[in-house]
Parts: sequence; C-alpha cells; structure tokens
Amino acid sequence: MAQLIINIINTTFILINVSVSFTFIYYSTKFFNLFHATIITISAYFVFLFSIQLNLNLYVSIVLSILLSSLIGILSNAFLFKPLRIRNADPFLIMIASLGLYLVFQNIISLIWGDATKSIRPGEIKIGNEIFGAYITNVQIITIIVILILFLGTILFLNKSNLGKQMRAVSSNNDLSIIFGINSNKVILWSFGLGSALAAVAGILVAFDTDMTPTMGFNLLLYGIVAMIIGGVGSFWGLVGGAFLLATAQNLGAYYFDSKWLDAIAYIILILFLIWKPLGFSGKQLKKIEI
Amino acid sequence: MEYILHIIIMIMLYVMLSQSLTLTAGYSGLISLAHAGFYGIGAYTSAILSVNYGFSFLATLPMAMLLSGIIAVFVSVIALRTVDDYFIIITLGIQVVAFSIMNNWMDLTNGPLGIPGIPSISIFGFEFSSKISFLILTLILAALVFYILKNITKSPFGRILIALSEDEIFTQSLGKNVYQAKVVSFTIGAMFAAIPGVLYAHYISYIDPSSFTINESIFILSIVIIGGMRNLWGAAIATAVLVILPEALRFIGMPSNIAANMRQIIYGLVLVIMMFKSNKGFVSKKIVGQGNK
Repeated sequence: MAQLIINIINTTFILINVSVSFTFIYYSTKFFNLFHATIITISAYFVFLFSIQLNLNLYVSIVLSILLSSLIGILSNAFLFKPLRIRNADPFLIMIASLGLYLVFQNIISLIWGDATKSIRPGEIKIGNEIFGAYITNVQIITIIVILILFLGTILFLNKSNLGKQMRAVSSNNDLSIIFGINSNKVILWSFGLGSALAAVAGILVAFDTDMTPTMGFNLLLYGIVAMIIGGVGSFWGLVGGAFLLATAQNLGAYYFDSKWLDAIAYIILILFLIWKPLGFSGKQLKKIEI
Repeated sequence: MEYILHIIIMIMLYVMLSQSLTLTAGYSGLISLAHAGFYGIGAYTSAILSVNYGFSFLATLPMAMLLSGIIAVFVSVIALRTVDDYFIIITLGIQVVAFSIMNNWMDLTNGPLGIPGIPSISIFGFEFSSKISFLILTLILAALVFYILKNITKSPFGRILIALSEDEIFTQSLGKNVYQAKVVSFTIGAMFAAIPGVLYAHYISYIDPSSFTINESIFILSIVIIGGMRNLWGAAIATAVLVILPEALRFIGMPSNIAANMRQIIYGLVLVIMMFKSNKGFVSKKIVGQGNK
C-alpha cells in the first residue's frame, strides 16, 4: 500500500512536469505541439550521448542536454511554427505539421541510436531507501524535489516576473497585448525555450528512472495532455488535480490489473471526463468544446 | 511478376483506406488519427472469426464492417463533442486504445505474437489463393468502395458534409443536423476501413498489432492530405506514389531497417511541407482549412 502511494506521488510529479512544460507552449500559441514529445525523448538521448558515449561528467552532460533541447524547441518555433502562424494557419493544421516534425525526429533518433532500450543509470541498480515498508529510489526522491522546485518556480515566474506577466497577457489576448506594446514573438520564443527546458528535465528524470526508447516521449506527452484537459486548460492547480487523478488511476490499474493497460486507462478517463465534465476540474471554459 | 502484383495489391488496399478517410477527413473535416485502428479491427475480426470459428469470407466481411461501424458510432458520439485539435487528440486516444487491446488482450488477439494461419479467401468453393485472383477480387472491392464513396460525396448528404466542414454554425442554421451528419460520416469511413483490413488479414495470412500502429494512421492521413483532401482520385494517385516510393528506396540498395525509418521520415516531411502549402495538395487544389475565417 505504501509502495502504491509512493508510486502515485512519483507519477503525479512527472505528469505535472510534462503537463506544465506543454502548457507553457500551449498557453502562448494555442496549438497542440506534438513535437514536444521529441524534446522529451531527445533530452534523454543527449545525456546518453554526452555522458556515456563521449564520457563527459554527468552533471555537465545534463546541463548541456537541457540547453540543446531548449535550443531545438526554439528552432522548431523559428523555422516551422512561426512561419505557419504568420500565414494564419489553423491551430489544427499547425498541430499536424508538428506531428510530421515529430515523426521525422523520432526516426532520426532511431537511425542514430537504434530502437533498443538505452540506459543512463550510473552504476548498478540499487534497491532504494525504505520508508514505511516501501522502497523509494534516490532517482525518485530527486525527481520529486526537482519537480516541486520547478513547479513552484513556474508559478512564481508567471505571477511575479515581468516576462511571466507578458506571457499571461499574450495567452489571454494576443491582439490586445500587441496593442500594449508586448512583443508577442519574443514572448512565444521564451515560452518555447522555457517549456522545452522543462520538458527536457522531465525526459532526463524519466530516463534515469526507467531507461529510454525512441518513442518514450510520445506516451508521456499524451498523458500530460490528458492531465491538462481533465484538469481544465489554463489552470495550474486544476492541472495538479488532473495529474494526480490520472496517476492514481494508472497506478491502481497497474496494481489490480496489469501495467500494460496504462494507455487505455488514460484515455478512458479522458473520455469519461468529456462525457460528464467537459470543462475539466477547474470548470474554466475549454475553448473548443461544444460550440 | 509476383512482386509487382504484391505492390499493386498493397496499393489497392491503401487506396480503400485513404479514400474512406477522404470522406471523413476531407469532406466532413474530421481529421482522424484512428483510421489504422479501424483497419485493425477489420483485420482482427475476420482473422479471429475465420481461424477460431471457421466462418467464410462472405460472412466475416459484413461482420467486420458491422463491428467496426458499431465501435465507430460509440466512439464518435463521444469524440464529436469536440472539434478540431481536441478531436484529433481524442482520435489519437481511440487509436492508442485500439492498439493497446490488440497488443495486450492475450486471450482474444494473442497479443504481440499475432494470429497465424489465416485461411485464404474462398467464395462458393473458389479459392482466391493465387496473387492474380486475389488482385482481381481486391480490384472489384476497391472499385465498389470508390463507386459508393463517389456517390455519397455527390449526394445531398455529401454537400451537407462539405458545408459543415466549411462553416458548421451556418450549416446548422440551415436546419441541417450537423452532429448526426458527422457521426454518419465518421462511421461510414470506419466501416470502409474494415474492408481492406479483412483483405489484408487473408492476403498475408498472418497479422500482428505492429501493422496497425499510430504511424500507420499518420501514413493514411498523409496520403489524404497529399491527395488534396477532397479528391478521391487524388487520394488514389497519392497512394500509388507513397507506396511505391519506399520500394524505390530499397531498389537503390538501402538496407531494409534504414529504409523503414527513411520511409517514415519522408511521410513526416511530406506532412510538414504540405501544411506550408496548405492551400493546395500536390494533386488537387482544395484542402480543408482554406478560406476559414
């Protein structure tokens, strides 16, 4: 039982991180950036490249990986999403473009590193620390602490800092914020950079915990999106609730049935929510639901 | 020769898939990423019925279509509460759940091991075991699907679909039942997607979940987009190009595992480029999203 609770907490925090990183970009650009999955995956592979293949110091490689992943996010915006926005493409057309770009990068990763599972865990697998009869690994402790700090930092950033306020302005009304002299392209660039950096952290932490494959990011991202939708788009605390609900359901499902049904559980919850509570936890109007 | 026949058969199967998605995604604007799921439902229904219970093709084909249709009605009634990008996410979910069932429900689908030993099609004692005869059967069915879809798109119902994809609220104001039209369009698309599934299962005689992944759905969608969204002939031509292209890669001596990745990279790039030229497909000039707002 205690083990179950620890697993739920761990999953919740990872989902929160993925979801927040995705929301950063969704907030300011209003499209589902499926390319985000690539950022999650590629950050883990960068750590693998630097620390295992090039023998760099682990911490140096993590920092390098986050910076590079963030750069890729920014470049994807500069070369693909920004031109599409300028052409006034519908959000779902940009989404399909991001899906195409994801497919390209996923296969490039497969070509370079192969489809087999790769590991960046230093040393042997340890049993972990015992609390209340359950085991928690060091990686999981680090995951929870790092994500907690990042999440609180994100909320502070959005509410207190100048740039964060500009992001919220752009998200609530892009045209009006331009009138007030906010450079919305700069704000979107920052949200891609920060969102990608957060996603990279999530990818690296997950890779330390459960290793990596070229498709790991896509499932994680889908869980993050489900958490965001059932939490109610645009509310960070609703998002925490959504992540917790999803993590609880998935871990209970894995405990009582089998871990192979994780994907199905996530989507069944999403569908149940769409039937009974289409606005999500927070009750905020979800832009596209029910015309 | 056998090889060329095989390619033509695969093209015909994908023509049916892409044309049925053309109705759903092109005419009614419901971009669906669940199409490979319905393709898989068709294949698995027919495989399970014929291997375990000895049903013949004439019985399994309508049953597969019916099952696919029933599932499509259930999921679309829910999924169609949303539009555009949310709808795409939900169809992605349907695809993931369908794949998860094929991959994990060991008792029913035999999981990743797949179902071997699917008998070849036999109608009134005639065995379609040679490639030529199977090709003729596939051609007949593809022509039938094409004919029906052509008629649907030209019918008043087809015009409702075009109208609702252009402006949903306006169509509603004309007294058309938009929601119902969407559900019907999604369901017809799913039912027709089951036909190539059934044919594929009997043709290859072995199926496993890896043929019905999300990447397959993306592939079918990219065919429709390249075909020009609302163009059945365009979809057919685009299918031929996209199926033959990776075979050409193999001919210039690329190892097959790299060719598989290159194939998907090409589809991905095609999607990105098409969104840039989003006011026209390679084949035709109409694409959904044009002229909105």
